[in-house]
Amino acid sequence: MALQQETEQESRELVEMSWDPITRIVGNLGIYTKIDFRNREVVECKSTSSIFRGYGVFMRGKDPRDAHFITSRICGICGDNHATCSIYAQNMAYGIKTPPLGEWIINLGEAAEFMFDHVLYQDNLVFVDYCEQIVKETNPSLLRRAETTEAPRGNVHGLRTIADIMRAFNPFTGSMYREALQMSRLTREMFCLMEGRHVHPSTLYPGGVGTVATPQLFTDYLVRLLKVLDFVKKAVPMNDDLFDFFYEALPGYEEVGRRRIMLGCWGAFQNPAVVNYDYRHMDEWGKAMFVSPGIVLDGALRTTNLVDINLGIRILLGSSYYDDWQGEETFVERDPLGNPVDKRHPWNQTTLPKPQKRDLENGNYSWVMSPRWFDDRSQQHLALDTGGGPLARLWSTALAGTVDTGTVRATGDSVEINLPKSAAFPEMQLEWKIPKWANTIERNRARIYFVAYSAAMAVYFVEQALAEVRAGRTKVFTDFEVPEEGIGCGFHEAVRGLLSHHMVIRDGKIANYHPYPPTPWNASPRDSYGTPGPYEDAVQGTQIFEENGPENFKGIDIMRTVRSFDPCLPCGVHMYLGDGQVLKRLHSPTLGTSVPG
Amino acid sequence: MTDGIRTGRPDVRPDTPSHTKGTHQGNACGHYERAKGHLPDGRSTAARSTGINPKSRDPIDPGMPNLSPA
Repeated sequence: MALQQETEQESRELVEMSWDPITRIVGNLGIYTKIDFRNREVVECKSTSSIFRGYGVFMRGKDPRDAHFITSRICGICGDNHATCSIYAQNMAYGIKTPPLGEWIINLGEAAEFMFDHVLYQDNLVFVDYCEQIVKETNPSLLRRAETTEAPRGNVHGLRTIADIMRAFNPFTGSMYREALQMSRLTREMFCLMEGRHVHPSTLYPGGVGTVATPQLFTDYLVRLLKVLDFVKKAVPMNDDLFDFFYEALPGYEEVGRRRIMLGCWGAFQNPAVVNYDYRHMDEWGKAMFVSPGIVLDGALRTTNLVDINLGIRILLGSSYYDDWQGEETFVERDPLGNPVDKRHPWNQTTLPKPQKRDLENGNYSWVMSPRWFDDRSQQHLALDTGGGPLARLWSTALAGTVDTGTVRATGDSVEINLPKSAAFPEMQLEWKIPKWANTIERNRARIYFVAYSAAMAVYFVEQALAEVRAGRTKVFTDFEVPEEGIGCGFHEAVRGLLSHHMVIRDGKIANYHPYPPTPWNASPRDSYGTPGPYEDAVQGTQIFEENGPENFKGIDIMRTVRSFDPCLPCGVHMYLGDGQVLKRLHSPTLGTSVPG
Repeated sequence: MTDGIRTGRPDVRPDTPSHTKGTHQGNACGHYERAKGHLPDGRSTAARSTGINPKSRDPIDPGMPNLSPA
């Protein structure tokens, strides 16, 4: 549904344009904008969600050992990231750690998930916005130029012009579109070898995995991985050609979706040699992860310490349909290191839903809360974004400069990815360099580089796992008792960005549980300080490059921006622009029926 | 939170699906050691996979890693 309405505001002629739902964000994401077509600029943007989940409410009283099975159902595409993160939190609460081979198996499963999801999203969903058919409708002159522009890396990927690349991404008919579907099948098989089932793993448990580690398991994974390497070696140069062309052919395109560099990454792929899941050593084992956790602020690393990251998390309200929990119980006053834990930290959050009518002008308009990171140096609550996931992961890893597995090396200002020989291509080195901007194009470009990163990491993980198997060390799980009282936190990366799970156990049951996936960070509404969320911030002020006027406006630059954040697998855009007519106005709060629509 | 919303009478407690104390737990300490084929140092033998002539499935050379069949 899209609404179009003209309003006069501050003597500018603003047209209200809305896309609701814009994507499948486990329910509903709506983007409401005010556009100044005369000056080709988006003046205001608000992001809303009209679905309530309630995990923070119904997890209470459950058996802590069920947490990863239940929270996996948060998402139908990255459920395993939740399961893994929950297991990290449970390991901490139970005081156990996974045996090394079990840890390599989890890492291999997660690497396959990153490859699966990013390939599917990038080639089958993101590139629909950049394919020949769409560009023909939104920017015909750009397509004409693409027809005559040689692809600089055509000798590698085999497509002669930029328009050929755009055609390869045409839905259902394009060669890359179809090949990506094959890759998503292969990578899913890889995932299932390690974690039993996609997307809700059946073989992951606190303390280890139920996967039986045999040489066959890892060779089955490896043969598929080598086919993925062939795809990656072609896809990365093709992506570079297309994105470089946008910068070159549309001067100023770097401003689309650009926002201040405020990226958060909570780290991924545990290093079994270091990790012990003890909160008191979290700084040490966090830094040993194979994707470095960190907060990147204005291009520099603010911190890589998971303890600092944890203590800085604040869940703000302001435009969300909830009552405040200031008067409710405080579950964790101090962390195991003795640091005070804020009332607005997820450990102390109590979810108090308050359904109400959406008020976009002066009131509450979303079920999403506003997670922020409190920077004690500037005393600001920063609206971090994830850059769609890969941008923050690569940026943080590159700057931290600690990852060096041979297949991947962080240099301090770039990430080198060394891919071994595969059937169609010789050895290849790719290098992701820190970009100048955090914008729409760079979020998308980082995604395909992170597929290469995951593939190269998977090569390393397979070698490590096989070394364990060859040494006969086949233990993959460990026994444990559930304590009567305990706390735990897990930090991981969901495919589209940072992920944390916070748990409090009392009487052997869950007393409080709060998962914070990437989309609440990215899609958050204005907080109690008036700070807009990342989608709102990135779209607001963005320039419009689309050649269509208001009468047949597609909103392609806005769509590209919102999609660059990977908002939980968009299945398609439901957009109606009925020449200024309001098609249908709907409002349906999902909790309760007595609220008038 | 649910002012004005009619709700039914709950017929279970919120913690019903949690663990009942005193019942068997698969994760209980000591289970790993008690299971057949698990050696104390983290290695395993073919008895982990099968109870039928497991010794004949162990490696013929003691220097070889013992990789139990799946």
